[in-house]
Amino acid sequence: MNRDRRVAVTGLGAVTSIGRNVSEFWKNLLAGACGIRPVTLFDASTYRTQTAAEVVDIPDDFLSAAEKRRMSRADRMGLAAAREAIAAAGLDLSREDPSRVGVILGGGTSGLLDSEEFYARHLEGRKARPSRVLNHLPDAITDRVAQRWGLAGIKSTITTACSSSANAMGYAFDAIVSGLADVVLTGGSDVLARLTYGGFNSLRSVDPDPCRPFDRERRGLSIGEAAGILVFEEAGRARRRGAPVVAEFLGYGVTSDAFHMTAPDPSGMAGGRAVRAALASARVDPAAIDYVNAHGTATPQNDSAETAALKAALGERAKEIPVSSIKSMIGHCLCASGGIEAVATALSVRDQAVPPTIHYETPDPQCDLDYVPNFAREVPVRVALSNSFAFGGNSTVVVLARA
Amino acid sequence: MSSHGVITGTGAVCPLARSAPEFYRKLFAGETAVRPMTPEERGDLQATHVARCDAFSPQPEIPPMKARRFDRGSQFAIVACSQAIHESAYDVAANPESIGIALGTGSAGAGALTEFLRVLLRESPEAAPPFHFPNTVANAPASQVSIELKLYGPNVTVTQKDPSALNALLFASLSLRAGRARAMIAGGVDEWNAIYALGFDRVGALRGEKRVSGIVQGEGAFAVLLEEEDAARQRGARPLARLAGLGIAGVPTEPYRFAPDPGAMNRSMRGALDDAGTSPENIGLWFPSRDGVVEMDAAELEAMRGIFGNPPPEILVKQAIGEMAASGGGQLVAAAHALADPDGFFGERRAPRRALVNSFGAGGNFLSAILEAA
Repeated sequence: MNRDRRVAVTGLGAVTSIGRNVSEFWKNLLAGACGIRPVTLFDASTYRTQTAAEVVDIPDDFLSAAEKRRMSRADRMGLAAAREAIAAAGLDLSREDPSRVGVILGGGTSGLLDSEEFYARHLEGRKARPSRVLNHLPDAITDRVAQRWGLAGIKSTITTACSSSANAMGYAFDAIVSGLADVVLTGGSDVLARLTYGGFNSLRSVDPDPCRPFDRERRGLSIGEAAGILVFEEAGRARRRGAPVVAEFLGYGVTSDAFHMTAPDPSGMAGGRAVRAALASARVDPAAIDYVNAHGTATPQNDSAETAALKAALGERAKEIPVSSIKSMIGHCLCASGGIEAVATALSVRDQAVPPTIHYETPDPQCDLDYVPNFAREVPVRVALSNSFAFGGNSTVVVLARA
Repeated sequence: MSSHGVITGTGAVCPLARSAPEFYRKLFAGETAVRPMTPEERGDLQATHVARCDAFSPQPEIPPMKARRFDRGSQFAIVACSQAIHESAYDVAANPESIGIALGTGSAGAGALTEFLRVLLRESPEAAPPFHFPNTVANAPASQVSIELKLYGPNVTVTQKDPSALNALLFASLSLRAGRARAMIAGGVDEWNAIYALGFDRVGALRGEKRVSGIVQGEGAFAVLLEEEDAARQRGARPLARLAGLGIAGVPTEPYRFAPDPGAMNRSMRGALDDAGTSPENIGLWFPSRDGVVEMDAAELEAMRGIFGNPPPEILVKQAIGEMAASGGGQLVAAAHALADPDGFFGERRAPRRALVNSFGAGGNFLSAILEAA
């Protein structure tokens, strides 16, 4: 592939439980704020747990009432984050060749919250409104972003569960490097739904209290929701137009664990392959890595396996660098987690500061890295990794660097 | 000219057949698996027809005890992908990191999802069966394939309307070019599901009593093994066809609306032709997107006439197996076999050297591919 083409991140957008835009989100991440609260989107009283990191008050005033009615919650959050990212990049998309601008997002629950209501009515033998299922498929948000900004280039939605938006960024990277597109809006938007909330609860994977990544007493994840959108742009044109480059997307690795549908490989060999593939794609050595934005779900299995994977792939370097999980603050945003965590990682690269892992109290011998407990830190961050590991053993690692 | 790789193996589990050669033979003989729905399938839908893998058995590829662990879509995918690997004689165990998978789907996980939610909504969240939850994810089939066949390379699932399988092929091609793998299984998988059918029927997508324009739903899985050409030749593989070009075009529109835009369809096909470094007169066979959505079918024909004047001979895949996100995989499998089989179907006539595959879906999602004899 033509490696003369590189990929700059020129705009970020975020809608999260601890901030409805990038600056609020970043300020609260560094302050160690927690967005995990009682669930309000549906009646959670009959579930095993009752907390999640919900987004309060989506900043979607730019949509008309009719548009909002047509759209799912994931659509509205995704459009709000995309709007912020496009503005931050200083892009006037009406002046671009629409066929050269693409949209590649990670998709997940999409309109599931609405289709669950359709299904519940159907199960009760009542007539259900068809408009409730129109947004069911996870690619709806991708089409909506393209529709809103008149984009006619590549569109794709990756549906690899919790690594969806990380893989979407990888696809966007390959699309730009190969010359298929010059600009791609990427990342993802994913919202709370009964299916995922009930599903992780049925697996006994949800901590009734806010999650505690890497802590010895960790008891599972907290579910979250978020939209994290990034503008990827061919670096040469970004430079020529004087775009505000936040970071460079150096490359990514995607591998199959080929191990188990839900359990990570405890040896870290499988996760380590993804990290090594990412380093190879980015053409950097382990010694160049300054920070890891961890997958860090706070399930007992993930955090020890991820620690082992980092040690397997980075060797001694793993012990020298900060590794933190922002899921301790915004929960596990499932198909959007790769996107929103890449937004945070890009900000770490821009501002030379790393967010903490909060709720961290008791060290675990199985998790023996520097997890940046409870307080953010200013450190030099030239190259950073962001990990995403999904059901199915889909492991993806992205690499961001100072531009 | 740039090659995206060669197709060295194919697999098919679909309403018409349970192997790629059988699928090709029946398709070219003009057979169709579209049939009237049973009363149980139909319920109160206005849709009347469907194409399903009625007699499907996961054996012999998946032993009976093991098969129970997989949802229907995963069974389809494991069988189709095993066939593709078998035909290609690719030695996965020798270098598992060199091979990955990219599947397109619109419905994978539907069975597990509707069953899990049925219990959650009707009984209680605590009663919902944990066994089903991991299979509710759309990437379950591709991931089950990666686990069963021990593929360590890239593993993604793509959902982007009807051309999802071609979109997965594009991902696979980019992965080869970037050196992420030397071989990628690409294709699609879908399972028919009564609740999904209800949803599609209610929003007006299915052809039936009250609607002349719409699709007939299908199900199944298709796989091609896309491999770096040099590596394939070196190991002595005999490619069925070469993936010569890919084109993609979008139309900004509502996700569930059709955008019957011949201009954008033209851009998709021209993109594939340019990418393949070839011109319309060199295309000897055409696999239309045509699926019964009247205005889309008319726009495709208009776009074809714009490029070709008189379009080349056509093979209608969706009329034989129904429409789904995986159908593009069926078109690819059929095209690869047609190009590799000059003495079969085409007999005395001069066999086509290049085939055009179109996959145009709702939401303004268009992809085209050019395959050529290898």
